[in-house]
Amino acid sequence: MKYTKELVSTLIIILITFLLAAVLIIVAKYDPGMALQSFFYGIFGSLHGFAEIMVRATPLILAGLGVSVAFSTGFFNIGAEGQLYMGAIAITFVGVFLPPMPPMLHIAVAILAGFLLGGIWAVIPGFLKAKYGVSEIITTIMFNYIAINIVGILVRTVLKNTESALPYSPVMPKSLSFPLLLYPTRLHGGLILALACAVLIYIIMKKTTIGYELRVVGFNKRAGTCSGISVYKNIVLASLISGGLAGLAGVSEIAGVHHRLLEGISPGYGYIAIIVALMGRNHPMGVIISAIGLSALQVGANSMQRQAGIPTSITSVLMGVIVLLALGKNIMFSGILKKMRIK
Amino acid sequence: MAEAGTVLYYIVTLFAASIRMAVPLTLAGLGESFSERSGVLNIGLEGIMLSGAFFSFMAAYITQSIIVGVIFGCFGGLLISMIHAYMSFKCYVDQVIVGIALNFFSLGLTSFLFMAYFGRTTTVPQCPVVKPIRIPLLSDIPIVGDVLFNQDIFVYFMIFACFVSYIILYKTVWGTNIDAIGEHPKAADTVGLNVKKTRYITAIINGCLGGLGGAYLTLALLGFFMENITSGKGFIALVVVILGRRHPFGVLFAALLVGAAEALQYRLQTLGSGLPSQVFIMLPYVVTVIVLLFSIGKSNDPAALGISYKRSSR
Repeated sequence: MKYTKELVSTLIIILITFLLAAVLIIVAKYDPGMALQSFFYGIFGSLHGFAEIMVRATPLILAGLGVSVAFSTGFFNIGAEGQLYMGAIAITFVGVFLPPMPPMLHIAVAILAGFLLGGIWAVIPGFLKAKYGVSEIITTIMFNYIAINIVGILVRTVLKNTESALPYSPVMPKSLSFPLLLYPTRLHGGLILALACAVLIYIIMKKTTIGYELRVVGFNKRAGTCSGISVYKNIVLASLISGGLAGLAGVSEIAGVHHRLLEGISPGYGYIAIIVALMGRNHPMGVIISAIGLSALQVGANSMQRQAGIPTSITSVLMGVIVLLALGKNIMFSGILKKMRIK
Repeated sequence: MAEAGTVLYYIVTLFAASIRMAVPLTLAGLGESFSERSGVLNIGLEGIMLSGAFFSFMAAYITQSIIVGVIFGCFGGLLISMIHAYMSFKCYVDQVIVGIALNFFSLGLTSFLFMAYFGRTTTVPQCPVVKPIRIPLLSDIPIVGDVLFNQDIFVYFMIFACFVSYIILYKTVWGTNIDAIGEHPKAADTVGLNVKKTRYITAIINGCLGGLGGAYLTLALLGFFMENITSGKGFIALVVVILGRRHPFGVLFAALLVGAAEALQYRLQTLGSGLPSQVFIMLPYVVTVIVLLFSIGKSNDPAALGISYKRSSR
């Protein structure tokens, strides 16, 4: 019976979300029929749509995994956006300043550098939280703004393409590009990296002592301390893994999509990754599913913007509402469920 | 002599601007202080301010009246704050997560409605802006007069609100009750204090003041609205609360510190140093982090901060 309840709750959430979207679209005097049609056409209408969903899901899976590791350890990492940009900076430095290398080695160095720089950007707040109890929510958010401005500074100074007046870096060498998986779409090898990371995180978190200790600290710090598990060590470790994965999302965006560093490479992937982790209940499989789902929502919304002129910010409204409904469903819907005689 | 005059003028305008920059942070910080003292951590403060900024702008734009704008600013903040209260008091959802979700909700809603109403325009829609009020006599005092007594109504309200908050929190029984509920809701409940009601009231205060803080951005500092206009001010206000240790004057002082960094940032940008403007734009955020480091080890968080109170639980 538990599953029936889950299923009905989920259906109610979907229904409310659609109704809210319809209300917003009608109130704003857009054409709801056109909106619905373009939404589904954008998602299911073409191979391009499918590829686009996967392209957008790639950074969401990586950063979402990162956030989920942090959340499982009780470290509220809101800074995936900044860590993503740090990863992007790292791969660009590798491409611009390191000597040419064989392709496999080159990309491996870039991935490592991205993981490390993203990790460092999260370890600082992690250390401050673990050692001094400084609120990580605040520091990680401030670090987002700082990272974004650092990108702005770098693409105008050290990393600037001298042959252009515009603020972006030179194009990365071929050896720093992910292969395309489904020509002529933009689907690239970053997806494989993301899925591999999901498997790895699943093994680490669920099958090893390291993951067990991380989860204990997240579940009950006191119990952890009493059984000899260091809260300090685990929070720092969680922040490193978390930031590193978000850094990989940045590496993947440069190596797979943009091929050069410029401002605004992330349309808020780092923030959406928080929703991805929450909806995925911090489980790697859940993260993959919710990343693809939220990515589809965005691709559909982009299509609505192109064809019906509806602003894409509608997705933020819906994502916020979905999270609230999903978390509060047991109490919010208890009345409805009782009426429907579902226990 | 002339040069000394310009330097003096420069300093006076810098101080005056610092105070103005501190207004949104102080107002939102005061509201959050009430909320946090009663044990409710509202990370959705950014969303509250953004909603306040949006609704105040729309109301002022449509009616051309600042008073209507102010009222709707409060209403906008209240909207977000009440959802937060409902979700965390009624549904017992983690307060931090509700706050994060509400920030998304508010960012999306304000951008969507703004775009839907104005479409893709090239001209920026403007709303009326409050004018400075010169207080007779006091404003004639050299330097201090220009810095303190030639400001807009919000600045005077900010100082007034600090005093009132101080009296409520430290000199009334209700203020002590708020602290008791934030420290130990179970004990407070046992002696007959109404935990839920008190927390709802502090949430209302938080929503109104946060909304006003947002309204100040549009109705005084800028005169227009754009997507994500608060750009992290709500989070900076949270830092101001931590650094000010939830004391009204502590909050005011911390807000002035960050406000000064912001005022300085704008001036440095226009100075033409040849550095990319991002160097200066990130200054307030860097200052905020540094300021946060100074609060290390002085934590006086209410014991029940961020924990939803369930009467039936043990």
